[in-house]
Parts: sequence; structure tokens; C-alpha cells
Amino acid sequence: MIELEIGQEVEMEFGGKAKVLSVIGSGGQGIVYLVRFNGQKWALKWYDINKMSKPAAFRKNLQNNINDGPPSNKFLWPKYLTKEAEDGTFGYIMELKPEGFDSFVDILNTYKLEIDPLTGRGVKRPVKFNTLSAMVTCVINIVNAFRQLHRAGKSYQDLNDGGFFINVNTGAVLVCDCDNIAPDGSNFGIGGKPGYMAPEVVRGIAQPNVQTDKYSLAVVLFKLLFRGDPMEGEKVVRDVCLTESSELKHYGQNAVFVYDPDDDSNRPVRGIHDNIIKFWRIYPDYIKDAFIRSFTTGVSDPTKRIIENEWQKLFIRLRSEIIQCGCGRTNFSSMFIHQNEKTFKCPKCGMEFVTIGFSNRDYRTPLYLGCKFYTCEILPESDDFTAVAGELVENKLKPGVLGIKNCSDRQWKAKMPDGKFYDIAPGKGFPVWQGLEIDFGEVKAQI
Amino acid sequence: MSNERVTEPEVNANANPLDDFDTKETVSTAPESDNSILDFDDDPLSATSVSKKSLVIFFLIDTSGSMKGKKMGELNTVMEELIPEIRRVGEADTEVKVAVLTFSTEVRWMYSNPIPIEDFEWARLRASGVTSMGAAFKELNHRMSRNSFLNSPSLSFAPVIFLMTDGYPSDDYKEGLRELQTNSWYKFGLKAALGIGQEANDNILAEFTGSKDTVVHAYSGGQLAQMIKIIAVTSSQIGSKSMTLSDDTSHELAEEDVFAAKQKLLGQQIQELVSTQTDGDDVPFDTGW
Repeated sequence: MIELEIGQEVEMEFGGKAKVLSVIGSGGQGIVYLVRFNGQKWALKWYDINKMSKPAAFRKNLQNNINDGPPSNKFLWPKYLTKEAEDGTFGYIMELKPEGFDSFVDILNTYKLEIDPLTGRGVKRPVKFNTLSAMVTCVINIVNAFRQLHRAGKSYQDLNDGGFFINVNTGAVLVCDCDNIAPDGSNFGIGGKPGYMAPEVVRGIAQPNVQTDKYSLAVVLFKLLFRGDPMEGEKVVRDVCLTESSELKHYGQNAVFVYDPDDDSNRPVRGIHDNIIKFWRIYPDYIKDAFIRSFTTGVSDPTKRIIENEWQKLFIRLRSEIIQCGCGRTNFSSMFIHQNEKTFKCPKCGMEFVTIGFSNRDYRTPLYLGCKFYTCEILPESDDFTAVAGELVENKLKPGVLGIKNCSDRQWKAKMPDGKFYDIAPGKGFPVWQGLEIDFGEVKAQI
Repeated sequence: MSNERVTEPEVNANANPLDDFDTKETVSTAPESDNSILDFDDDPLSATSVSKKSLVIFFLIDTSGSMKGKKMGELNTVMEELIPEIRRVGEADTEVKVAVLTFSTEVRWMYSNPIPIEDFEWARLRASGVTSMGAAFKELNHRMSRNSFLNSPSLSFAPVIFLMTDGYPSDDYKEGLRELQTNSWYKFGLKAALGIGQEANDNILAEFTGSKDTVVHAYSGGQLAQMIKIIAVTSSQIGSKSMTLSDDTSHELAEEDVFAAKQKLLGQQIQELVSTQTDGDDVPFDTGW
């Protein structure tokens, strides 16, 4: 391929030149450079067109995507194409990864390798989610991004761990490498990354599409939560060496989920897959069931794969079931003792947590100091899972008295200890007590 | 509960469908945890690194006397620069390790074990003596075993084996190669070779790699640097990068369709890359003396 030189200028399609400053990284299809264009710094992806089967169609598709714009602000979308060189070579520029985001790969590795430019030695800096809530929010963000993309009638095609930047403090997500995105049903040559490809793509009988995206999405989510490969267990490890035919077998023809309830031939191996063994027992059944479905019936029948909206609901529920105990233990309610129908108890310190039931769901939500619920949880038509609608706080004037603060912009009604309902304006609150009832409008809640 | 069963690795020759990959007798594992009820090692955030597949890159380097001077200087420099550059090729899926075998009169490993690429430091090589390539093949065969260098308890990719030489072997390379060819790791491995200068024999190198596509030649210092980079980067990425798709999705792939697919792909990619390299006006190795 024609590599660009530092200092070289590349002509942009609509005029102006991008000057190459340094190399950012390289991928299967080309190299990404840091460039300056119009006084601003950008990332330039420069293609190795020798590795493309249909470079002209690929460029046209990229052009269409640029014209359509990103489905939401969660995408680092192609911005401008370069002028096509005489030999057909081209690239595009996109915005740079903002500060505060780490790559998904670094999260899976649990560290980032920072290289000292003078000695060339690498220093490992830990990378992990700051809070459990940030991790689950990240999952919701990933799922939501693909829901938006698929609603726009497009598929990502090459979904893998290299495709995301994540803020480990907030769970914010940026989807990058958006250049293979194509209208569902079209493919411009990309197959995918081993381990993430849907079995029918590995077997050579399908090209990437929205359904194969759903499989790859399930792999990404599994890796993020369980920190291992959903298809690599005893059966695969026995092969010792992963040859091409082993890959075809274990990821294509005979892919067996490590926790397939009806086939225990591929269970995780202690000493190799310790993360999966440890985390599988932590997650509640509704999450495990969704992965079981994705990686058993969903392997052979693409229509049985979990749709994004379903994942989104499951993970919004999971986030609402996080309990942050006063003793420092933070976990899902499935890892607390279910004391009775309405109470959870911390197995470590014995602290009890009362729960609240919402009229729009059939499970109860634990309450603890600092717990939050979000707009989508109290407004049926809302998809907003980031705006905090309510939070459990301590009364500033009466220490020790806990209550719920209305952080939304709507007026609620709440039943007070005197048995009467009062209006709760935005910014106001009310105490949590045995007979508490809240009227959010369409949705109601009750202790 | 059946789906809670956790398996100890029982890697033995009988259980292994590819029993020609020699196996270790047993794989030592941590003792079963005592399963104490109040074990609070249950923080969903306290993950260790995701389990990785292991990939060893073997560099077989000719350090005979004829490599002395510019060739060795160039090779040392490019390897020093290359190692940091390819540190991240494994990403989150692969743990890449490097092993360097040098051959001149003696055959010698740079380090006694493969070293993770993140910790690898290049020890500058010196040239002297004759070209014992056959002995190098035998030594490689000996070490490419689960009981030796390929002892990762987890799954491995077939290794990358990269041979660099500038001359004709001074020993019986054919006998060494015959031994090596019986090794399954070699059979499934990604093999590439670089001939340096006029004397290197591309036919011998093709015998080693199994095809001409994965043999390249460098006649100058600039080319040497380019070729080493192309081969090392391309071969180490083949297992872990997104791949392109064939247009034909009309029939299901069978085992014979994918056999040695990576070696073929490596050959294609190397040839494509080599053909787009521009000839610099570097001084050839053998002129200007």
C-alpha cells in the first residue's frame, strides 16, 4: 500500500489539504493518521485499496454515509472524503477521540500500555470501570447505539472490540470505525473479526447484515460483562492449536456456548476462563437467559437473536437492581439475600434494603442512599436512560431522614405519612416511608 | 447443577483430536476453591484480563560472518524499532510472545524462553562464523513443543516462523528441514522468509516456507527494513484482524476450503505489499566497498 509520509499533504474532495502529522494506528484495511485540516486536528483513515474487493463501491457507500450523517452523537462518523488519487487511493477524515475515553480493548486487557517515547519501554496504566453503574450504563449505550443504527436501515458489519471508545467514569460510548457501515443487505467486502463473526459468516453462507450484527453485539456484551469468549471452553482448548479448521468448527459449524444448558461439552476451564466462571454466578437469571438464547438457538436461527430493544430493557432493569451497600459492597440484587418479598439484605454486613414497585414492571427496585431512576423508567414513551428523574437523598435539614428528590421537569404527586397526596414540584422531595405511593402520571410506584 | 460444572483441563494425547500436537502430560491447575459460603470475591468489576490465545513469533536469524557490517547493523536497528511498533498487534485476543534463534557456527536462543512482546528488549546481535541452518531447523523442531516453548495452558494460534538469511547453508539443511516438517506446529504455522543480498537462495527459502509467495528478497538496507516490517506486521496480524470476505456465499465452507488459508493469505498480502514498495536509490549491500 502507499503509506503517507509525515508532513505530506492530502487533497480533500471539496478543497483544502490535510497535512499528515503522525501515525495513530493501523488496521486490517489501512492506516489512521493524525492530520491538520482547516486549522483543526482530525483523524485520517487512509485505505489500502489493494485489500479491498470493490474500492469504488466502498467509496460511494462512504459518500452516502457522510451525506446521511450519523444516527446519533454516539458515532465517530466519517466527515469528509479525500480527493481520489490517480491510482484510486483515498481516505476520509473524522473527528478525533475526545479526552477521557479509553478503547474497549484496553478495558478488556484491564490496562493501557503507554510507551515512553525515549526508551520505547511500555508502562501499564490500569483501565477499569469506576462504578458498576457506569459499566451497565456503557452496555445500555452500546445497545442503544446499534438500535439507532439498525433503525436507520444500516448494519455495522464488522462489530468487534476495536470499535468502541468508552468513558469508564460515566459509561459514555463512542462507536468508531464506522466506515464499513452499509445499508442492510449490502456488503463491500468486509467479513469481520474472528471470534465476533456470526457462525453463518464463518461458515461462508452469509454476508454481514443486521442479523449477524446482533450476534456480534451479543459477543461484545458478553466479553464486556463476563470477560471471556462465549464459545471458548473445554472443547476448544482440547484442540491445543487453533488452526483454520478448528476455527471453522468451533466458531461456525459446531459452535457451542460455554454455558449451554443442554450441552456441557464446552464448559469454561478453571485456570484459563476464571473470569467467566466467577461472573456467571453473579448475574441474575434474566441476563444469563438472554445470553443462553443468543448463543444456543440464536446460533442456528438468526431470527431468534435478541433484538436491541430487548437488551436495552434487560440492562435498564439490571442497572436499577444494583445495590450499593453502606459496608462498601456493590453488587446486583441477585447477590443479596432476598429477605422477603419486599426486602433485600446484605450477606456481608446485614444491612436491609427496602424496595419500591413500579406499575410498569413486574420486579421491585431496591432503594439505597444515592440510588437513581431515569426518565425512561417513569415515562412510557421516553427512551431517555441518561437523564436522572429521581434520586434517593438524605434530607439536608433533618440528617438521617431519607427521601426521594424529584430531579425531573414534571410535577409528581406523593402520599405523605399523613395519608394525603401532595404535589411534588421539580427540585422538591418527600420522605420514604412504609405507605409511600408516588404518582408520576401514567406510571405509579408503591413501597 | 449441570450448567454450573466447571471443567479441569484434561489435555492429553487421547482426548486431543489433533493428537499430532504433542501435549504435556498434565496441566497444573489451581486447587479447587474451598467454596466457603461467605466468599466475597464477587465484585462484578474485579475482572482480570480477558483470556487470551497465545501466539509465538519465532525469528530465525542468520548471524554468520557474511552478515557482518551493514546487514547486521540494519537488522539490529530495524528489530529494535519494530518490537515497540508491533506491541499492540495482539489487542485483547492474543498474547504475543517473541523468540529469537540465531544461527552461525553455533545455534543460540536470544532468551531461554519466549518473552511477551510488551516486555521484549532486543539484544543486539553480532555476526561471525558459518551458516548452520540445518542445526537451526533441528533446534526449532525441538523447542516447538508443548513441553518446551509452546507451553501456554490456554489455546494457541499456530506460530509465526520468520527466517532471515544472506547465504547458502553450510550444513545439511535438508535433513534439518525434514525433521522440522514432521512438527505439527510447523505444518500449521505461518512461515515467511527473507533473503538478504545476492547470495541468499530463494529456492531454499521457498522449501522452508512451502511456497514462493512467502519469500521476499532485500538487496539494500532500506529494503531490508521494509521487508522485515511487512512480514512481521502482516503475519502477526493475520489471526486477529478483521478479514475480508469472498464474494461467493453460495456454498458452505468445508475443512479443505480453509486448510492453510492463513498461509495463502499471508502469501497474497506479502506479494501485494512488496509490489507497491518503491525502490529507493539505496546503495546495494554488495557495492561501494
